[in-house]
Amino acid sequence: MEYFLHLAILFSIFAILAISLQLIVGYTGLLSVAHAGFYGIGAYIVALLLKNAGMNFFPALLLGALGSMLVAFLIGIVLSRFRDDYYALGSLGFGVIAFSILLNWQELTRGPLGIPGIPRPELFGFEFSSNLSYLLLSFILLGAVYAFSRFLTLSSFGRALQAIREDEEALSVFGYRTSWFKLAVFVIGAGMAGIAGGLFASYITYIDPGSFNVTESIFILSLIILGGLGSLRGAVVGALVLILLPEALRFVGFTPDIAAQMRQVVYGVLLIVLMLYRPQGLMGKYKL
Amino acid sequence: MDIAAQLTVNSLIAGSLYALVAMSFNLIFGATRFFNLAHGALATVGAYGTFYVGVVLGLPLSVAVAGGVLTAALAGYALERLVFRPLRARKASNLVLLIASLGILIAVEAILAIFFTSQFKTLSVLTGAAQTIHIGSAVITHVQLTMFASAVLVCGTLWLVLSKTSFGRAIRAVSDDAEVAKIVGINTNVIIAALFVIGSAIVGLSGVLYGLDTGIEPRLGFMLLLKGVIAAIVGGIGNVYGGFLGAFLVGFAENFGIWFISGEWKEAIAFGLLVLFLVFRPQGILGKKHT
Amino acid sequence: MQEGKKRNVLTVIVLLIVLIGGAWFFAGNLKTSVTGPVRIGVIHPFTGDAAVYGEPMLRVLNLAAEKINAEGGIDGYPIEFVVEDGKCDGTAAANAAQKLVNIDKVEVIIGGFCSGEALAAEPITTAAGVALFSSSASNPKLSGISPLFVRNYPSDSSQGVVLADAAIANGMRKIAVLQEQTDYAAGIYEVFDAQIQENGGTTHKEEYTTDSYDFRTSIAKLQAERPDGLFVIANSPVSAERIFKQLKEMGWESSLLVSDVIAGDPTLVATHADLLEGAYAAEFGVDDNNPKFREVIDAYSAKYMTEPPFQAYVQTGYDAVFLIAEAIKEVGYDGEKIAAWLRDVESWQGASGTLTINSNGDPEVGHRLEVIKSGKIEVVGE
Repeated sequence: MEYFLHLAILFSIFAILAISLQLIVGYTGLLSVAHAGFYGIGAYIVALLLKNAGMNFFPALLLGALGSMLVAFLIGIVLSRFRDDYYALGSLGFGVIAFSILLNWQELTRGPLGIPGIPRPELFGFEFSSNLSYLLLSFILLGAVYAFSRFLTLSSFGRALQAIREDEEALSVFGYRTSWFKLAVFVIGAGMAGIAGGLFASYITYIDPGSFNVTESIFILSLIILGGLGSLRGAVVGALVLILLPEALRFVGFTPDIAAQMRQVVYGVLLIVLMLYRPQGLMGKYKL
Repeated sequence: MDIAAQLTVNSLIAGSLYALVAMSFNLIFGATRFFNLAHGALATVGAYGTFYVGVVLGLPLSVAVAGGVLTAALAGYALERLVFRPLRARKASNLVLLIASLGILIAVEAILAIFFTSQFKTLSVLTGAAQTIHIGSAVITHVQLTMFASAVLVCGTLWLVLSKTSFGRAIRAVSDDAEVAKIVGINTNVIIAALFVIGSAIVGLSGVLYGLDTGIEPRLGFMLLLKGVIAAIVGGIGNVYGGFLGAFLVGFAENFGIWFISGEWKEAIAFGLLVLFLVFRPQGILGKKHT
Repeated sequence: MQEGKKRNVLTVIVLLIVLIGGAWFFAGNLKTSVTGPVRIGVIHPFTGDAAVYGEPMLRVLNLAAEKINAEGGIDGYPIEFVVEDGKCDGTAAANAAQKLVNIDKVEVIIGGFCSGEALAAEPITTAAGVALFSSSASNPKLSGISPLFVRNYPSDSSQGVVLADAAIANGMRKIAVLQEQTDYAAGIYEVFDAQIQENGGTTHKEEYTTDSYDFRTSIAKLQAERPDGLFVIANSPVSAERIFKQLKEMGWESSLLVSDVIAGDPTLVATHADLLEGAYAAEFGVDDNNPKFREVIDAYSAKYMTEPPFQAYVQTGYDAVFLIAEAIKEVGYDGEKIAAWLRDVESWQGASGTLTINSNGDPEVGHRLEVIKSGKIEVVGE
């Protein structure tokens, strides 16, 4: 039972990440590989506020999201000038730099040593220490993120984003400041990733920079590619499949080293096969 | 300052390695126009090919190096035929090709880890104790000197082939405009397949040399790829000579950068350079404006 | 047909309830009295650079468990290990601890092998009332970290001090340091640096990440300082191998000090015999004349056709299983009681010699100074 709760909590965290990246990649067509950076910034802000400042989880989570958004705003000013492959590369550069700062600003982050013993959230004297209560909290946040994203994609703002994806040139001819829209969606997505980071930090109780590197960004990206670009439900399904997949392999009975590698093989082959036979993903509306 | 001499040598060594990756990356990019992340996997394949021939089978160094390079070339050809050509035929977008190549990178590294374990292995059985040469106060090993020579030699050979032969003219025609090349009767698929073979052999060589210098592990291709792609962009994406220049710029920036700040910032320096170029000169050193 | 289907579904549901309920009941009952196989969690690195330790150390644990099980186990029940990969990395170790504590419901865990694993797992095990016993984590910060944490491997505070004293005694005043960015290495550096400064010396440190492969510029920078010695604090033989190769290529001349994971790897020391000639190390030593120590070395050699590597960890790992088995026999399967018993151990005879645990949960032993001569470790002052 606890095992399923654990997986369900991880699933909700990654579903939030997938939804937030879906807004950037799937709806707007901006291939960002910096997402794990914002996930990490949120996680670190929450962890440091909880541990060093003794702050309550909920205001800390809000600050974590705002911190991620602030950084995303500064990076986004530069990034929004690019499109297509160059957007991907620029975001890769920023992603690696964000990781390097988490790793090397040791006075603040303790660098590769990480931050152990992060407390669980508390609300009016109730501590979310059991996994069941934590799952409830994660589901509520996931629901909120999903609902907000759905509202956003159905609004006129969301339609403008999809127009950028289809033809940025045409939209700017109509007088839209497309770089403003690109910046806005990037910042919103980063804020949601920050929330996922805070949830992760408080759940695992330990974080180090290794959880927020470029490989993690690529993993989040593959969640939405599998689920399908341009579909919020697809993002959730992608997260579900890729969180459960390694657990399914666990029961095959490989030695730990081989099991870890087999997971990578399955995951790589999955991407190749998807691109060859179903580039729109499981539930995607739009092809890359 | 004796340290400056050593840092120059270190920069040249790092630059040579990146140059092999960046030149071959740009060679293939010029004709295919997509970010081929599987390129890094071929460096790993080359290194493990050499390990297998030289250490497992126990054949001499020269055979082992040739074996590694050949394995990488063959693997590159296989990837082109099995994955990239079918995708191109379907007019898949650049991003689809990029993600497929990412899948290849992940899968190949993991498969090698299953067969050879993920443990770090040295190839010192093949090279013996490192022989060094002193240049002033700086030191360089034979393997590292070979790296530098290979980078220069590959660059020179590519220049000869590209500018002096009809094959080279065909490559340039495909790179300029694949549609027009087709109309004038160039079989673009044959040219692209040839580029995959040549490019994969070169990147395979970089993996082999890296292995001989440092040792091998399944992740080595990914590390080389990141630096190689930065060098390729900084130099001018799709431009072979740009890749050469960009690689040495990255090498010097990294090694002289950490003279002044602490060594753990090395990664950030390379990527900082990338961001600077993307912002101020996205076409790279030798690139044309419209890319 | 419909009826049959319904009945099938019902049967499955009933079966599930019985199974889950049964598991619940037995899980509840497991506490204190032993009524089935005794499950002990293990968090060791099986992937990543430190994976070189994972497999041999698990073999050692299995040898100990086989011996105990052959002699009747614990109250007639065998020991079973639940093994998780900590990757020598905090996040993986925290995940592993979560799983062992919440899903496998173990009351005692051996691990983490690396200090970083132990530091990340400890808050989780302590909160759950589970005993955490490390046979190798040596970071000084683990001393007295929790009443539920115990180790039988000494803290690096003694390693840092012994090496710093040796350096000062040999006239080294200015010491270059090449330190891997891990808890273990950082812990040694802190103690070492403090002791050197106290004696009027200075240190110049360059750090490197675990996956670094090009150390040439860091080495050149340290060389330019013209230090009296260089202390290489690597967390695993893997990065040490690369560093030694490049030190040799760049003609490093001044004397070396090396961390105990380097000294503990005989092949590494033999391969770089000429570079390491005269290098100092401080290890928690092994005693070849101790019959218990011979027992595990011989059993390992017989079963795996090779002498075990990293013997300082072999002895403590072997002892860990016996200590835990004894604790469970005495106080039952209960994390808090097991930890309390372990922290009270006094003059216990094992493969690592005579063990007494002090009030910090640390063993009352230290590191001994060693010097490398022709690719072999020699104990100084014996």
